[in-house]
Amino acid sequence: MRPTSAVSLLLTRFALRHARQAPRQTALLAGILALGVAVFVAVRLANQAAVASFTHFTDTLTGQSDWIIQPAAGTLPESVLGELRAELGPQPVHLFPVVETTASRPRRAGEPAMGRTTFTLLGVDLIALANLARQQGTGENLFARRTEGAAATGRAPDPNRGFWTDFRSGPRLWISHALTTELGAATSLDLVINETPHALPIAGEIPTAKDAPRAPPSLILLDLPQLQVLAGKPGRIDRVEFIVEPGPRLDERRETLRARLTELGRNGERWIVTSPGAKRDTAETMTRAFRLNLTVLSLIALLVGLYLIFQALDGAVVRRRNEIAILRSLGVEERAIRRAWLAEAALLGAIGGALGVLLGWAGAQFSVRAVGQTVNALYYATTVASATPSLLEALLGVALGIGASLIAGWWPAREAARTPPAQVLVRHAAPAPGAAVMRHAWLGTALVALGVACALLPPLRFAGGSRFPLAGYAAAFLWIFGGGMLCGFMLPWLARAGRAFRNRSAVARVALSHLTNPSGRHRLAVAALLCAIGMTAGMAILVASFEHTVQGWVRRSLQSDLYLSSNAAQSASSQNRISPATWRAIAAHPAVEAASVLAAFTLQLDGTPTMLTGTDLRLVRTRSDLPWVEAPRDEAVFDPARNAGLALASESFSARFRKGRGDTLQLPTPAGTKTLTLAGIYADYGNERGSLLIDRSHVVAWFGDDQAANLSLFLRPGTDADALRAELLARHPGLVIYTNATLRAEILRIFRQTFSITYALEVIGVAVAVIGLALTLVSVLLDRRDELTTLRALGFSRSEIARATAIEGSIVAACAVTGGLLLSLALGWLLIHVINKQSFGWTLGFALPVGQLAALAVTVVVTGGIVSYAVGRWGAHLPADREE
Amino acid sequence: MASAPAQVVLDVVSVSKSYGARRVLDDVSFQVSAGQRVALTGPSGSGKTTLLNCLGGIDRPDTGSLTLNGQRIDQLDSDALARLRRERVGTVFQFFHLLPTLSAAENVELPLQLLGVPAAERHERVSALLARVGLTARAAAFPGQLSGGEQQRIAIARALVHHPALILADEPTGNLDSVSGENILRLLRELTDETHTALVLVTHSEEAAAICHERVHLRDGRITP
Repeated sequence: MRPTSAVSLLLTRFALRHARQAPRQTALLAGILALGVAVFVAVRLANQAAVASFTHFTDTLTGQSDWIIQPAAGTLPESVLGELRAELGPQPVHLFPVVETTASRPRRAGEPAMGRTTFTLLGVDLIALANLARQQGTGENLFARRTEGAAATGRAPDPNRGFWTDFRSGPRLWISHALTTELGAATSLDLVINETPHALPIAGEIPTAKDAPRAPPSLILLDLPQLQVLAGKPGRIDRVEFIVEPGPRLDERRETLRARLTELGRNGERWIVTSPGAKRDTAETMTRAFRLNLTVLSLIALLVGLYLIFQALDGAVVRRRNEIAILRSLGVEERAIRRAWLAEAALLGAIGGALGVLLGWAGAQFSVRAVGQTVNALYYATTVASATPSLLEALLGVALGIGASLIAGWWPAREAARTPPAQVLVRHAAPAPGAAVMRHAWLGTALVALGVACALLPPLRFAGGSRFPLAGYAAAFLWIFGGGMLCGFMLPWLARAGRAFRNRSAVARVALSHLTNPSGRHRLAVAALLCAIGMTAGMAILVASFEHTVQGWVRRSLQSDLYLSSNAAQSASSQNRISPATWRAIAAHPAVEAASVLAAFTLQLDGTPTMLTGTDLRLVRTRSDLPWVEAPRDEAVFDPARNAGLALASESFSARFRKGRGDTLQLPTPAGTKTLTLAGIYADYGNERGSLLIDRSHVVAWFGDDQAANLSLFLRPGTDADALRAELLARHPGLVIYTNATLRAEILRIFRQTFSITYALEVIGVAVAVIGLALTLVSVLLDRRDELTTLRALGFSRSEIARATAIEGSIVAACAVTGGLLLSLALGWLLIHVINKQSFGWTLGFALPVGQLAALAVTVVVTGGIVSYAVGRWGAHLPADREE
Repeated sequence: MASAPAQVVLDVVSVSKSYGARRVLDDVSFQVSAGQRVALTGPSGSGKTTLLNCLGGIDRPDTGSLTLNGQRIDQLDSDALARLRRERVGTVFQFFHLLPTLSAAENVELPLQLLGVPAAERHERVSALLARVGLTARAAAFPGQLSGGEQQRIAIARALVHHPALILADEPTGNLDSVSGENILRLLRELTDETHTALVLVTHSEEAAAICHERVHLRDGRITP
């Protein structure tokens, strides 16, 4: 028979018919695969949505800018515009100066201070924008909201009012379509900018340029001078965007402009020339490690699913071996059987993958918020409400389903093809062991050893300092697979350990007897459960260690009594500040013994965004207890008279920029490039971008900006912190003020929220593994039909058969739990000391969440026992497989 | 042929059974007394195994009654049937059906363990029975290490170890060579005589039927002369 025709015959006459005869099992397998693919797709779509939200905001207004200039640190003076226009002469180039800041709605009573929507406020030259929009045919949209708003409120539109009226009558907001819909007929929006609450009138809906994406929901547009005032940046701009008018030799003119801008910027000394694409790349680079880590985590369920597909196909080989043997004796070649088996696996994978894509898209609508919150906390302001389906992701999901299924199906296909007809045609020959690969202890040991070697390798490094611990993950997977193979060898030990029970109970004797020489399928079930438990418990150890470390860090770092910041400060990139007048007035309060003022600026170092912070380092020495990774060798950095040119760096900064104690770096500042020597490295878990800490006096001098990002107050003995907080809040309603205890609680709340998505992924992984245990037992009982009939003939009741199965399943679960917990210790170590360290540069202490691990172990064993009992009840009703 | 004893152990009255439209057993009636051996014969598909399954409480008749030691077994629920098999029935299969994961001695011991017999007594009875079937030396062997004849001897020991009232044997020599088959038949005859146990033996074999006191011949689900 030709292989191709044989394959199609085998598929249609055998595989599909078997699938139809056991539709529930087929559906369950496809469902498990779909779940694995769905988690992966959901996380990918959520990740993409979080990155897409970073779309350069002005793209929606102007179409894509050609070039952007921005200072490496701080802001540009407005005067630069005149200089640029003069330098560029009559060239057909549009200049758009931009001021950007963030704002939040005022915090309502009972609402957490962090985690609220952060709005991005863009100040642009509305006249220039209107002109450009008119050229592009979208100018009238600027007035759309005005008319609609009037109609909605029952007021007749005023033809005399419009753009110019709005323009002259103070700050007005143009808001996104999504926010317009959310606000309905509201005519103003309450926002906190810096430390001041404002009720700002809504002027209209943001127009969208031709072919440009719709404005993100959180984008708010104002006229440039108005936002300069509101944001406390009078006479300053954050960047200038350039659009070259279309026409002949466009590319050449673009390149000429870039060269001229670079020249004028003195090769980065005054400003950096960049593009919207490069800015998007930066956002992608910043979050790459986070997204990759999440994607890898999303593969837990698929990995467990892989075991189950392997198990199911392997079981099918055993069950159908008579059929295979007959086909072989009828002349079907080995390769045709192998191909048919692989085609069956691929078909299952395609169905599971397609279902998984649909499920994943639905799941992404939930996961997108969790991912967005983490990106917000660690990287940049983002508001993502939904994930968009993508054909590419759908194809990737289906390909993943097929790929996983083919990997899982490869060994069973090989086994099916290798089954000799003569051997299997003998009726009631010894049952095939199934999953023979699981019996190779040497292979398991080799995988574990290879994993150890991988754990010692360094991470991959991407542009921008982002790192990905590929070898670390390879080590994890090798340990999971190797550990899974080795753990099966514990089953006979456990069975022997229960020898005392064998003599007391016939049920226990029967149950334990199956495990003294466990089948490959038992070993596979152990491996699948071990995989889920190991990864879940490993993650639990990582999170517990992280929490334990952060608690210690918070305890040591947060020593002051009150903490103040802008009510609008929501994300790692918040630009909201407290004015010098305000913080000075607060610091001068009679109840305040000392005030630590923190200045913070985002800057570009070697093309990578990072933070420069400044504070009174004397207070750091006397009032705080920085957790050192590398402590300063002397006191110079804490002495204002000696600390010019000295800086402290966070551990993330040190890892990202590969700088240690004693290294120097060139820092771009508005006052020119400064050379800094790192005096020490401290632990900081606030953000992943890293930060430098220097004495505030230097920062203020370099940036000419005395605003505070936050303020820590040390109160005089006997002061009621809560009373003072209430007093200050009444006086400064645009601030958020924490007492020491509430700030610690808030930090831990954000911390736990950051990890919330991982818990969902773990629960899915363990659930899939328990389903896998049930599938294993179903398969085992189907193979043991004769034995079940014998047991019934010997007088075993159905509940006794079910109990025997429950004992068997519980021991399999207990074995997997024991191995899984041991594996989790290794994975925990790997996650903490290799993967986390290489990805984020954070040093964490090792903490064991004993209660959580015990709960996991008990849950899995008990659930395993209950599920096994149910399968046993079902098995006890199986009709006898005997012939007349 | 041996003489038939008097006490009725099994009473089968007008038993009928259908699978869909197909009538497998049709108005079957007969009795088996203590120590009596009855051969159930007939061609393939005549309903022998279905009848045997009904007698062992594995299957239920649609109509008619089955009484074992004075207790109607066709009306018992699943658990009661399991108890009945555990206490009063022993089964010998054509393909032995020893539990492959238990040793020979453990296989024989299992029914006693199910009945809660103390360990010391279990070991004593198992040892005695293994000696009786001539397999003391093979007590620790697993089924895969035993020949067909040895496996069937162990299966017979397992069927008798708890002193059942009735032994159901389904082609006990069907998978054995002639010498082993003769040995097994001799053993069955001797042991049922020694223990005064009733035996229903499904067979195609004249030699096997010859050890029985009576013969019930089935054709198309009906008893025929």
